[in-house]
Amino acid sequence: MQVRIGIFICDCGKSLSNIDFTKVRERAEKFQDVVYVDLSSSLCLEEGQKNMLSAIREPDINRVVIAGCSSELKENVFGKALEELGLNYNFLSLANIREQCSWTHEGDVTDKALELIRMAANKARFLQPVEKNYIPVNKEVLVVGGGFSGMKSALELSGLGLRTTLLEAVLGGKLGEFESFYGIEATPEEMLSSMRKAVAGDENIKVLTSAEVTKVEGQAGDFTVSIGRGEEKVCQSFGAIIFATGYMTEILPQDFQLKPDVNIISQRKLVEMLQAPGEFERRPRTIGFVLDVSNENSRLPVLSTLNNALAVKKRLGSEVYVFCKSLKVDSEGVEKLYREARERGVVFLKFEERPRISKEDGRVRVEARDLLLGEEVTLLCDFLVAEEKVLPPEGTEALSSMLNIGTDSGGFYQDENVHLYPVASERKGIFFVGGCKGDSDFTRISMDISSAAMSIYKLLCPGKVMVEVEKVKVESERCRACLTCVRVCPHGAIQMVRVDTEKEVAKIYDLACDGCGICAAICPAKAIRFEGYADEQILAEVEAIGESL
Amino acid sequence: MNREDNKIVAFCCEHSAYQAANKAGRTRLYYPDNVRIIRVPCAGRVDVQHILKAFEKGAAGVLVMGCQEGACQHLTGSTRAKERVKYAESLLKEVGIDGGEVRMVNLAPDMAQRFIREVKEMAEKIEGR
Repeated sequence: MQVRIGIFICDCGKSLSNIDFTKVRERAEKFQDVVYVDLSSSLCLEEGQKNMLSAIREPDINRVVIAGCSSELKENVFGKALEELGLNYNFLSLANIREQCSWTHEGDVTDKALELIRMAANKARFLQPVEKNYIPVNKEVLVVGGGFSGMKSALELSGLGLRTTLLEAVLGGKLGEFESFYGIEATPEEMLSSMRKAVAGDENIKVLTSAEVTKVEGQAGDFTVSIGRGEEKVCQSFGAIIFATGYMTEILPQDFQLKPDVNIISQRKLVEMLQAPGEFERRPRTIGFVLDVSNENSRLPVLSTLNNALAVKKRLGSEVYVFCKSLKVDSEGVEKLYREARERGVVFLKFEERPRISKEDGRVRVEARDLLLGEEVTLLCDFLVAEEKVLPPEGTEALSSMLNIGTDSGGFYQDENVHLYPVASERKGIFFVGGCKGDSDFTRISMDISSAAMSIYKLLCPGKVMVEVEKVKVESERCRACLTCVRVCPHGAIQMVRVDTEKEVAKIYDLACDGCGICAAICPAKAIRFEGYADEQILAEVEAIGESL
Repeated sequence: MNREDNKIVAFCCEHSAYQAANKAGRTRLYYPDNVRIIRVPCAGRVDVQHILKAFEKGAAGVLVMGCQEGACQHLTGSTRAKERVKYAESLLKEVGIDGGEVRMVNLAPDMAQRFIREVKEMAEKIEGR
């Protein structure tokens, strides 16, 4: 097909006064393959677009260059307009002569504007059509993890009408480490049992206990998950997966000089004792908590300490001392909880150097220098509730390597990348919520769960997803199956497929592909073509720079 | 293009540097007009051949601008771009293209000032040659 380029220049309501548009128009007409140049003041408005579309219809233009504002503003609108004409939306090339030319340079910038337009026109000559099509997606969702996050995710998804399989060794999770939640009337135990009941009674939720994920294959919309239950093994297809694998806590002996025993206990043990007061030989007079030793600035230990310290005060009336460095009270309601704890008589001692802990007459002796008193404080307590290190759960490493999803330095799933939003992972269709993302609190976790459920709903609910077909494509004749692209794809969107008995080639899954083009740049055989940013298109832009106008 | 024109080709990731450049425009921050921005979907899309082509065509400097490492939209894109820039640099040295400057820059979408500083620095560097 003969390339016939139409250039539409917009002077943005005559506001780009440092460009001589008559000259631009004259020169642009002489560019290669250009058959039509038009000047408008309002391409973004309906009227301007109408004129543009009627012009495109007339002289048989099949590539469109629009010179005007930045691409993120109106690219979609122009693309849609082209589609209405029956022209492929990819036959559009933009030249940013407003933000990156007129507005940002002093003096006359006609030459630069012309150059930008020629770069875009040169690129337009190589544009190929990209089709859009629907691909079907499976509407079943898998939730891995039966703690608070897992159960809540399953319930929310079921509320949105998505069938969910909840997979877990046991339902329960870490909620039992809290005696109560400040500001919530139901106790964690009640919350758990009501959630268990809701999950059991929900016909959209299927629970698989003592089961584990052994393999995940496929891509968003169609994951094939191998589930092992003892000897038995089943393969099932899911459209999306939520991992709520939680976290693990451990008292690290090196942090506490002493091993946990009858006097040095964990939060969970304390809660068990509080719920069955018969466990105490006698009412403990003094209970100490130590914070900020294993994890500084962590929310979960602060939350459990404050909630449980308050519970001790209320239930047992013991003296409660909290040794801490800097309390992290940025979660919702925690500042208030801290105040109430103080008002009820919980004493907070701020140390700078790690407290020294030893045993004395069956009690625990804690020595620390209090920063505010400026004095050494020695405390003999009946029980010391040791801070536990928050760790990723067992099997995280195996899981992340199986999924090809990275973890942060602490071994938790990525949540610092601003581009990934709160819950998405680098692979489309796989989400992480709850404790497995590291430091969090209940408000955040609940929000994450809703956000993950909504993302999945958006992805799967129509049962089909519109994708750009083979926008990034492996040319199978050139592929030498070196696996480079499979290894480098940050979104895990490339897999090997068999084309005939002898050859396997890489295939890019349209739905999972996020369009970064890393594979296209790295492919040693140059077998991957990224339409819109193909090599010849980028090179055409480079070549247009600085040629005589 | 002529090396005397001191043209700079900037490959800009559309998630960060391209937006930073737009922000510079919207806030009317001026920078030298010898920069030509080429939009790429990720700094990782930029290949050594693109950089070399720019020099072959007479550019005096090339900037590859992507997201900050650790905050890359495509996770490894800017790290890969950095490696390629390094490789391109070594190739340039080897073939002895007269002191072509190539640099990798990491920025966030709102860093208009930083964008301008980098462009100006590059412009000064090639002018001073």
